[in-house]
Amino acid sequence: MNSAPDSEKVLDIRNLQVSFRSIAGATRAVNGVSLDVRSGEIVGLVGESGCGKSVTIRSIVGLVPSPPALFEDGEIWLRTRRGMTETLSLHKNTKALRQIRGRDVSMIFQEPMRSVHPMMTIGKQITEGILEHEVVDPAEAYDRTVEMLDLVGLPNPAAQMNRYAHELSGGMRQRALIALALVCHPQLLLADEPTTALDVTIQAQILELIRDLRDRMRMSVLLITHNMGVVANLADRISVMYLGRIMETGTVEEIFKEPAHPYTHGLLASMPSLFSQPKTRLQSLRGVVPELAMVPKGCVFADRCPHVMPKCDETPPVIELRSDHSAACWLYADVGEPRGAPAVADQPSLPGDRPPLDSPPRVETIPLAGSEPAADTARAAPAGSEVAQLQIESVALHYPILRGLLRRQVGTVRAVDGVDLTIRRGETLGLVGESGCGKTSVGRLVARLVEPTAGHIRFGAGGGLEEITHISQKEMKRVRRSMGMVFQDPLSSLNARMNIRNIVGEPLMLHQLAKGRAVDDRVGELLEMVGLRAAHQSRFPHAFSGGQRQRIAIARALATEPSFLVADEPVSALDVSVQAQILNLLLTLQQQLNLSMLFIAHDIAVVRHVSDRIAVMYLGKIVELGEARAICVRPVHPYTEALLASIPLPMPGLETLREMPKGDLPDPANPPAGCRFHTRCPYSQPVCEREEPPLRPLAGDADHFGACHFQDELQLQGVEEIGELGASQ
Amino acid sequence: MKTYILQRFIQMIIVMVVVMLVSFIIVELPPGDFLTTLREQLTEQNVDPKVIDSTVEMYRARYGLGENWFIRFGKWAWSLMKGDMGYSMQHNRPASELMGERLSLTIWISIATLIFMFVVAVPIGMLSAIKQYSAWDHSFTFLALLGVSVPSFITALVFLLLSVTLLGATTVAGLFSPEYVTAEWSWAKFVDMLKHVWIILFIVGLGDTAGTIRVMRARMLDTLGEPYIDTARMKGLSGAKVYFRHALRVAINPIISSIGLRFPQIISGSTIVAIVLTLPLIGPLLLDALLGEDVYLACSILVVLTLALVIGNFLADLALAWLDPRIRFEN
Ligand code: SF4
Ligand code: SF4
Repeated sequence: MNSAPDSEKVLDIRNLQVSFRSIAGATRAVNGVSLDVRSGEIVGLVGESGCGKSVTIRSIVGLVPSPPALFEDGEIWLRTRRGMTETLSLHKNTKALRQIRGRDVSMIFQEPMRSVHPMMTIGKQITEGILEHEVVDPAEAYDRTVEMLDLVGLPNPAAQMNRYAHELSGGMRQRALIALALVCHPQLLLADEPTTALDVTIQAQILELIRDLRDRMRMSVLLITHNMGVVANLADRISVMYLGRIMETGTVEEIFKEPAHPYTHGLLASMPSLFSQPKTRLQSLRGVVPELAMVPKGCVFADRCPHVMPKCDETPPVIELRSDHSAACWLYADVGEPRGAPAVADQPSLPGDRPPLDSPPRVETIPLAGSEPAADTARAAPAGSEVAQLQIESVALHYPILRGLLRRQVGTVRAVDGVDLTIRRGETLGLVGESGCGKTSVGRLVARLVEPTAGHIRFGAGGGLEEITHISQKEMKRVRRSMGMVFQDPLSSLNARMNIRNIVGEPLMLHQLAKGRAVDDRVGELLEMVGLRAAHQSRFPHAFSGGQRQRIAIARALATEPSFLVADEPVSALDVSVQAQILNLLLTLQQQLNLSMLFIAHDIAVVRHVSDRIAVMYLGKIVELGEARAICVRPVHPYTEALLASIPLPMPGLETLREMPKGDLPDPANPPAGCRFHTRCPYSQPVCEREEPPLRPLAGDADHFGACHFQDELQLQGVEEIGELGASQ
Repeated sequence: MKTYILQRFIQMIIVMVVVMLVSFIIVELPPGDFLTTLREQLTEQNVDPKVIDSTVEMYRARYGLGENWFIRFGKWAWSLMKGDMGYSMQHNRPASELMGERLSLTIWISIATLIFMFVVAVPIGMLSAIKQYSAWDHSFTFLALLGVSVPSFITALVFLLLSVTLLGATTVAGLFSPEYVTAEWSWAKFVDMLKHVWIILFIVGLGDTAGTIRVMRARMLDTLGEPYIDTARMKGLSGAKVYFRHALRVAINPIISSIGLRFPQIISGSTIVAIVLTLPLIGPLLLDALLGEDVYLACSILVVLTLALVIGNFLADLALAWLDPRIRFEN
């Protein structure tokens, strides 16, 4: 065993190798990872799902069950109150491990909703931790817990002590869990995707809290996430991980401004940002993360790397580019200077400027027929834009809340509470908002999957608009021919027991558009259109990856050649690189087929990237509606401003100092009176609590609507148009 | 919490009333007057005509025969509540006399079976989950599978066979040794019963216990995979605290809520065993009454069993509400 590392380091992982044994043989999930965290530092470990981040971080504290895990090599040194301790060797010594957990190192997890014990009060759960490690009387433990709850920003901490998990929102639970983790003042906090399950405005609050506590409690943080924006905002240094190996390590500035490794490039280019050119192809990585058993020999990134060369058959060494910046890539094998390929270091860098890769990005599994959407057509008004494809008018969807034995109605959830929208032919309308705002309900209403409580829905299947609000199922079937739907979770929306031919061909047969061999041919065509192989018709959904399944779902939605597509969170379950591929696909198809689209998502950056116009929803109402760029550059509703400010930008240093929305989303069953946003709005005035502002056009801009009393006076901050520069280079 | 208890209580009363109504309708259904049948029966048995007259008159008054149906129902229900279970045609005795001891024995044996099941199944299931894929887990998974799939009367028969062939027992099993069967209740009789009862608990409870082991194991495995268990581990808690304080109370929930449902299972299970082993339980009596179309007896037994079941359910709900804050706060 090597010597202990210097005392500046709180954590030092050296050459960690972890395999998992199964009947199929052993697969190596972590393959020689070295990583350190220094005092007071926040280190981000980034990568797509299945790359071994979680195993790495859980190995530190012995939370990886062994068997099946096998720790084949490496050391993990952790600074504890007894000095530097090697924790891998403690895995069998549970007592020693237990003394470290919660006291020297703590952890918070991905799903705050499920990480708080459901049947124990918050107070009891936290004091339990204190009493485990310290000899204190219960009264003192109680006081310290209240203090800690206060520190993490829970309102009325003494009252929270007696509450249970189900009485707290997701954001509040994550705060309580942070209090639980830090109550014994550990030196290192491990955070495993701490904000992934939270809404964007809540995510922003939690990230802010972690940063703040790091300073106040003088601790270090190791944060794992798949979201480049999150690390850019929070981390001091970043390690990029792929398939069990660290690809690149560097300070946050270097990683974002001068990324060296082709994988880092790919990740950054895949993200639609608030600065990128809307409706253009994202430079996505090709392919998908391979199964662990199929990892290429040599450089594990070789099968997706645009710069791959013969040498890459051998494992590349970790090359120091300069102090604190290293990459594992043969491109830098000589003297640490970039050789030939991505000449990144010397390029003038602008925020948002992704250095172009020097070979054309090979994006799809199969090159798509048809052209790339040209930037200028995208910016011009969509063809035939004045003809409406869909019009919804004062549509509402109310659910009764039933309670008790007799299912008495005790309230109403106003999921959608009077929404007007028009989607023009060929136009993409983005609908954005946080969970519970009613955006998904709008999509379901449009497709008539739920019956509206009030209002009118009109749809132009062939000729003019036709009222479809209450038409019969039989008539609706005819309308559905012109209306495709794509959902968030491609696996559950595809019937696992049907093969791809039947899944994609089902609408054809249902509408009697094709029979027998003609179905095969058309399905083949559709599959190729979405970048899959026609020959794969006989396979079943589980044989495909998440991204491919979403392609299948899109192929199915397009089978009847609809003129309109409802896409509900179509990319939010996918990895960044795959997300970019699907967004590219949707954009291409939309141009090719002149589709109109209702694109629903929670991520305003994604929505902005694909939409012509954006509608922002909050608690069942549309609060702002306008041209996509105008909304992002000059929002007029404080909620839109908050949404924009909450998006963690993949741009270190460009931190938003804007005011964050306070507090949690109110209960949709009981929305605040007056302006629904007034409980969280930093600009709220007395009038806002009384009068509900209607959605009305801006003074001097008839295409931009807002629902704020002060929309014409407030000077709100959006994001600047830096993307123009970046894209035009 | 109070509203919750009240709700459950009202629910219980409603169920009881419905069951009694249904029973009453069944009692009233058979063609021919109950009193005529009674008179015929008594005459056949050569009972003194005066006694016959007075008996018939007594029943007429008590059940309000000849009045309209809801008065009849009221009187019937009232007398049931006072413990008068009606008259058994088959046995020529008041039903309550027939049920008496059998009823209390049945209830005690059911409760004991439940406790047996709990005490055996919960720890075994829990340990199987904690030591998943260990030898312990594999053996109990196998045994539990066996226990679930072998019907209890087979177990009872095997037991009979073994005790006759191996132990040379002459009396076929029962709840008591021959000398105590008809004896008055005494300490000695009680001790004698304890000696016999565990075998019965084993036979009656085997299937349920095996089922519960499987449920407990599965629930515990699910619970141990929950993120809040990781949270608990990361506090530095010992294994025992994680398992007992954090995992057990969540994992055991469905077992507690199923107690109410197990009750009828145990009673029907014990009926078959009771027939094979000739135990003086209520099940065989009910079966007898049903086969012999002895309506009063059958309905009385049904009503009493339902009452026991409904009360059991109520208690299980209370226990659950006490354990699980989510239920407590629902209202
Ligand atoms: S080593 Fe080769 S394949 Fe790997 S990232 Fe570098 S250039 Fe690409
Ligand atoms: S109306 Fe008032 S509360 Fe509502 S968004 Fe405008 S300023 Fe804020």
